Amino acid sequence: MSKVQTEAKSDPTNEILVLDGISKTFGELVAIENASLSIRKGEIHALVGENGAGKSTLMNVLYGIHARDSGEMRLRGQNVRFSGPSEAIRAGIGMVHQHFKLSPSFTVAENIILGSEPMKGAGRVDFAKAEAETRELSRRFDLELDPKAVVAKLPVGLRQRVEILKALYRSAEILILDEPTAVLTPNETRELFNTMRSLAASGCTIIFISHKLREVLAVSDRISVMRRGRIMRTFDNENVTAQDIANEMVGRSVLLRVDKSAAREIGQPVLEVNNLVAFGDRGEKAVDDLSLAVRAGEIVGIAGVQGNGQDELVECIAGIRTPGAGSIEINGVAASADPRSAREAGLAYIPVDRGGLGLSLQSPLWENLSVGHLSEVSKGPFLSARRAQERASKLIQAYDVRGGGMFAEAGSLSGGNQQKIQIARELSREATLIVAEQPSQGVDIGAIESIHKVLVTMRNAGKAVLVVSADLDEIMALSDRIVVMYRGRVVGDLASGDTSYEEIGRYMGGLHEDAYRDPATPISRPGLQPPHAIDG
Amino acid sequence: MENLRVLIKSLALPLIAPVVAIAIAAVVGAILIVLLGRSPLEVYQTLLEGGLSGWPNLSVTLQMTTPLLFTGLSVAIAFRAGLWNIGAEGQMLIGALFAGVAGYALAGLPTIVHLPLCIALGFLGGLLWASIPALLRVYLGVNELVVCLMLNPIALLLTGYISTKALKAPGPTNKLPDVAQTAYLPSFSIYSQLNAGIILGIAICIFFLAFNATTVRGFIWKLIGLNPRFAHYGGIDVKTNALWIMLVSGGVAGLAGVEQVLGQYHAFYDNFSPGFGFDGIAVAMLANSNPLGVIAASFLFGTLNGGSAVLQMTTGLSKYFVQVLQFIVVLVLAARFVWHRKPGAIKRKAPATAQPQPVSQEV
Amino acid sequence: MIEELAFSALRISVPLVLAALGGLLTFQAGILNIALDGFMIVAAFAAVAFAYATGSLTIGILAAVICSMLLAALLVVFNLRFKAHIFIAGIAVTFIAYGLTALLLEGIFGQDGMFTSSEIPTFPSIDIPVVKDIPFIGPVISGHTLLVYVTYLAIPVVYWVLYKTRWGLRVRVVGEAEAAAAAAGVNVDRIKIETMLASGFFCGLAGAYLSLGYVSLFAKQMTNDRGLIAIAAIIFAKGNPYATALVALLFGLASALSIRLPEVTGIAPQILQLIPYVVTILALVVVGIRNARARNKHGSWNFDIA
Repeated sequence: MSKVQTEAKSDPTNEILVLDGISKTFGELVAIENASLSIRKGEIHALVGENGAGKSTLMNVLYGIHARDSGEMRLRGQNVRFSGPSEAIRAGIGMVHQHFKLSPSFTVAENIILGSEPMKGAGRVDFAKAEAETRELSRRFDLELDPKAVVAKLPVGLRQRVEILKALYRSAEILILDEPTAVLTPNETRELFNTMRSLAASGCTIIFISHKLREVLAVSDRISVMRRGRIMRTFDNENVTAQDIANEMVGRSVLLRVDKSAAREIGQPVLEVNNLVAFGDRGEKAVDDLSLAVRAGEIVGIAGVQGNGQDELVECIAGIRTPGAGSIEINGVAASADPRSAREAGLAYIPVDRGGLGLSLQSPLWENLSVGHLSEVSKGPFLSARRAQERASKLIQAYDVRGGGMFAEAGSLSGGNQQKIQIARELSREATLIVAEQPSQGVDIGAIESIHKVLVTMRNAGKAVLVVSADLDEIMALSDRIVVMYRGRVVGDLASGDTSYEEIGRYMGGLHEDAYRDPATPISRPGLQPPHAIDG
Repeated sequence: MENLRVLIKSLALPLIAPVVAIAIAAVVGAILIVLLGRSPLEVYQTLLEGGLSGWPNLSVTLQMTTPLLFTGLSVAIAFRAGLWNIGAEGQMLIGALFAGVAGYALAGLPTIVHLPLCIALGFLGGLLWASIPALLRVYLGVNELVVCLMLNPIALLLTGYISTKALKAPGPTNKLPDVAQTAYLPSFSIYSQLNAGIILGIAICIFFLAFNATTVRGFIWKLIGLNPRFAHYGGIDVKTNALWIMLVSGGVAGLAGVEQVLGQYHAFYDNFSPGFGFDGIAVAMLANSNPLGVIAASFLFGTLNGGSAVLQMTTGLSKYFVQVLQFIVVLVLAARFVWHRKPGAIKRKAPATAQPQPVSQEV
Repeated sequence: MIEELAFSALRISVPLVLAALGGLLTFQAGILNIALDGFMIVAAFAAVAFAYATGSLTIGILAAVICSMLLAALLVVFNLRFKAHIFIAGIAVTFIAYGLTALLLEGIFGQDGMFTSSEIPTFPSIDIPVVKDIPFIGPVISGHTLLVYVTYLAIPVVYWVLYKTRWGLRVRVVGEAEAAAAAAGVNVDRIKIETMLASGFFCGLAGAYLSLGYVSLFAKQMTNDRGLIAIAAIIFAKGNPYATALVALLFGLASALSIRLPEVTGIAPQILQLIPYVVTILALVVVGIRNARARNKHGSWNFDIA
């Protein structure tokens, strides 16, 4: 990089984009609060934070997908407001989403030109010109791609290139990459970083959203950290350590305190996962040779940014996803991909997808509470509505579910109350293993407390509890043992008393080449994998 | 008190959509009537009187109600569980065929054996015909809508071939040999073809009303229609249940054919159906897949169809007017229908959370 | 004799091919339009009515196309704006069309079942000079009426539009990956509306041909499920214009044979008429089996249509 360019990038007046005091609220949820960010021309600027920090929302506001509630956006000195992505695109902003928007059976060139097709007469598309322009663009930005290749046949890394070229085809000067390495192999990640550097060198400005601190440090010029909707700080990459960033990312919250008495007697493993391999819905490897154990009387929290395989892991345990390899045992019983046998083996599963998986939103609460317990509320082939309703009424009272009584539709309840219904239903059975996925997501503070209390009660009663959460406060407050998942593997297995936010935060960010920790007790499983090598 | 309010709410709300749909159809129909140079008031009055006043008219109405009870219930059973069975027309024809063949081929058996046997075989015919889309959907994920759509004309052609060629009754005719007296569904009226089939129809609707409301299986079938993933998570074998739902739905449609063959024509005639299977879709939608609603909606359409003969005589307005009204109702309900009973899986949404997800879909 | 058969096959298949051409455009945009019969029947009625009233074939055809496109507009509005399920709305629209045309047949013409009149203009046959004398090909190709030529010339046009023009590219992308099209700035709803109107246009021509093109008459439900057969052709040929037209032509041939063959061989007409429907189901089964193998066995459980 030339000296001129280096200087330009460190020149604070060379701002191409300024976000000033942006706020955005969705209903009651404050997604972004007074966020201010300045981006310099030609730099690679990373935006980091945990799930729910607001990174994606902020970029969506920038890109015109959401309208901001307040604040200013200045692009090249001019105030702008985009009412849709097409306007943002016209202004020179391009976005590469985490989930690609490509047409699989069409060629690279066709995907790139779609929406801005070069024309010949009579409404015809000039496909030859499209290919030529693609080739030219490919050459100019050093992004090798065969214009005639069919997208469906390309590996993920190349498909991402198509997305990048798509943005560049529309003369994007600012490129937003949303968690671009989430689906890439280490090699492809390396290639991407080279691409990013050369794009920046040719004058492109890149905003790079990620939670992977190692990568962010490897390639960015400056790093802004978001937490709970605010921009906490912007660092220069030259004088910052991973620890600094992690600290900023996972600041402690004073609100969450769970009364957790000292660990009870910890019993035998109830859940044993051995060398599990599982694939996601798009065929990618989501869980990569993962081993894990949860014993009776302990709460194990799986920490990690969502998207590192936690969902797939839980689905395999719950029997709604077939694993690729490895084994899962609940109370010694090998699990099959069948929710019923998982239940019979002693599992109580509280899913994160309440509307899609855990509830029937259009059904009244008493019906929702009866599912999975039909044998208890039936007399022969008949459903005893009376018994079901009595049971429901008791549960609603016991768990303090607010929202209109047992005849109310589940969809009309607040998130917290829906969660309570799920919990009421699942725990009203003799379960020995409780798996709770993102238990406080979309739940108000008051309900969170009672939900946590329930989980601790279960643990004190000798159940094995597995909590998966992207909320580090929750993990730290609840868990006896913390396992961190990154890229489908366990990268940290620590007793909660022996670790800190900072350490967990580091692991969540992929920086786990630290000391290999021995298991705290003889029975627990070794959790740490050998360090990943990520170059770049 | 709370329970009473909930009860009233649960009775009144579901009636809004059908009433609105009927109202809109009536208005559009009125416009049509005016354009054709007649008085809407006169026409609707004639329709209702022609359908309801006096036993002769009423018996025709009830005759026309009967097949709709079966096809309407058939479609309702499937729709309630989120399955698109639009093949009731074909299932009815095959059921009619089976009953028609058993009606003459098994002559010699006493009524007490012959009649129930023919009815059962008719049910079986419809069931078997429905097994094709059922198996293809459950095990291969093939869209049952398209399969049903194709199977309807296939059934018509197959039964046409059998009744005009393969097993044709002797002489220049397009029917199978007459059904033996021992397999007749007894007739009620000299003014129409009203027969005991209507009792079977009403009985079966009431059976399913009870089934839906009081049995565990009925509850499970409803849940599958509302959220199959939730049902699966709750330990329900969704695929096997879906299979049985389609089979039962087909069987009930087969009974529509049974009634026509054993009760009305006493023989299987080629192409005897003026579209009862499709009318069943209209009935099921108006009834919002509720068996009691099926009785009411069948009776409504039966009345309109019954009255349309009188309408034709007195005002010259063709009986197709009723068909137009009927399907305007379907069109209007289709608009609302999607929200009420969304068949098939509810697509895997982002978690029910207050956190907004950017509008993104995957490739 | 074979030439005669080929000639009539080409002629008889015209409504099928036209309807299939229209239907494949919406199919490519991701909509399976099953109301083709409904569109055709209103077109057939309008064609006869207006041609009879004005004595002009041109006006008859124009009326047919307009009425068919109006019905298409109705369907697409209910599907896109009111979120009605395309199949249910399609069935409803078709039966409304059947009923309405039968109603108007009696209401306006006072006829029950069929209307014909010698006052309805007919299409002249066109003898192509030079071509008509070519052995074998001549008698097959020359001597048809205008709409027949329009139909077969339309096939390469549809292919060209779908694969060479910008609109065609956008239609195909909308059909495959709506999100990708939307992200690229394509107005997805507008594309869907335009393809639906196009299918209305083609069905308009098809309906006009039905009632004016050969014998000038309108009869209740005279489409005879041609729309359904066209849908079968589209599904079987996966919406590719040449393949779909060819399959439609073959289905038309089967249909024509089904009337002739019984005279000669005694095979029942129904057997041949079964072919389009049975063949389509078999194709669906094959695709289903292939999908079942390729499907991600490690995906999360769902009960979706493959």
